[in-house]
Amino acid sequence: MTATYLYAITHELTDSDIGDLRGVGGTAVRVLHGDRMSCLVSTVDLTEFGEDALRNNLEDLAWLERTAREHDDVVRAGAALTATVPLRLATICLDDESARQRLNEFGEAARHALAKIDGHDEWGVKLFADRAASDPDPAEPVVVSGTAYLRQRRASMLLRERSAGRMLRVAEEIFECLAVLATDARRHRPHDRRLTGDDRPMVLNAAFLVDRKRLATFRSAVDVLVGTDCDVSVDVTGPWPAYSFVPEPALQQDAET
Amino acid sequence: MTMVDLRADAVETSLVDLLDRLLGAGVVLSGDVTISLAGIDLVTIKLRALVATVREPSA
Repeated sequence: MTATYLYAITHELTDSDIGDLRGVGGTAVRVLHGDRMSCLVSTVDLTEFGEDALRNNLEDLAWLERTAREHDDVVRAGAALTATVPLRLATICLDDESARQRLNEFGEAARHALAKIDGHDEWGVKLFADRAASDPDPAEPVVVSGTAYLRQRRASMLLRERSAGRMLRVAEEIFECLAVLATDARRHRPHDRRLTGDDRPMVLNAAFLVDRKRLATFRSAVDVLVGTDCDVSVDVTGPWPAYSFVPEPALQQDAET
Repeated sequence: MTMVDLRADAVETSLVDLLDRLLGAGVVLSGDVTISLAGIDLVTIKLRALVATVREPSA
């Protein structure tokens, strides 16, 4: 049994535009035609992408990583050609007919999203509170007496708390300033320190939809904003396909109602 | 030129940054992903392996 795996909705494309593009599990990517838009799809086997198989496979990090990267490759290939609305990982329909039907149901929202995304890239901006600022009292308190020790501990705790709060406010201000220069902005949840492998706490994990014509302005704003506060450092990633800016009544939820 | 630097950033994409986007905002850390199947079913999946890797014990 096979099914149709959907990667992204794009402005109209033809099979010759995408050439020999490969998707998840090395499957050949095809163009499915909708009303004034296209969808990049491939045929997948339900032994790997069926309900039960997916349930297991999604919990296998090696499979998840491989599939996520293969999915991303197809979306990037689309985005390199034309405006592209990425679909969520593992958006799967019974067959091409079912995929086409959902494409049509999503039609108006998709065309709106394509118009918004056209000429834009997504940029990731992560801010880290530098260690010196987030951990203001590295010196071990000198134990004088029980009470003095507790007082010292309390003082250093308060200082740390205040500093963490300040960091979040700085991050929020930087987010607001950058959002003004972007067409759209979203916050992702900051990553756990164990994930980043970095001692410094992440205080902002944001995505911005930036008009390519305004990219230079956006980038220099990042430098200026971060440069004026020596307590935070920045990690900029991109350009990304507009993953974080897919309209919410998403294709995969739409067909349920 | 800044443009050159920007493209260099894109070469190595971290899996976490990618999953932030592919699974939707916050989904990675909350451990649920909603998957559509066969055009009818919505399946809620617990990403146990990922959560075990990703998630700090609830603070």
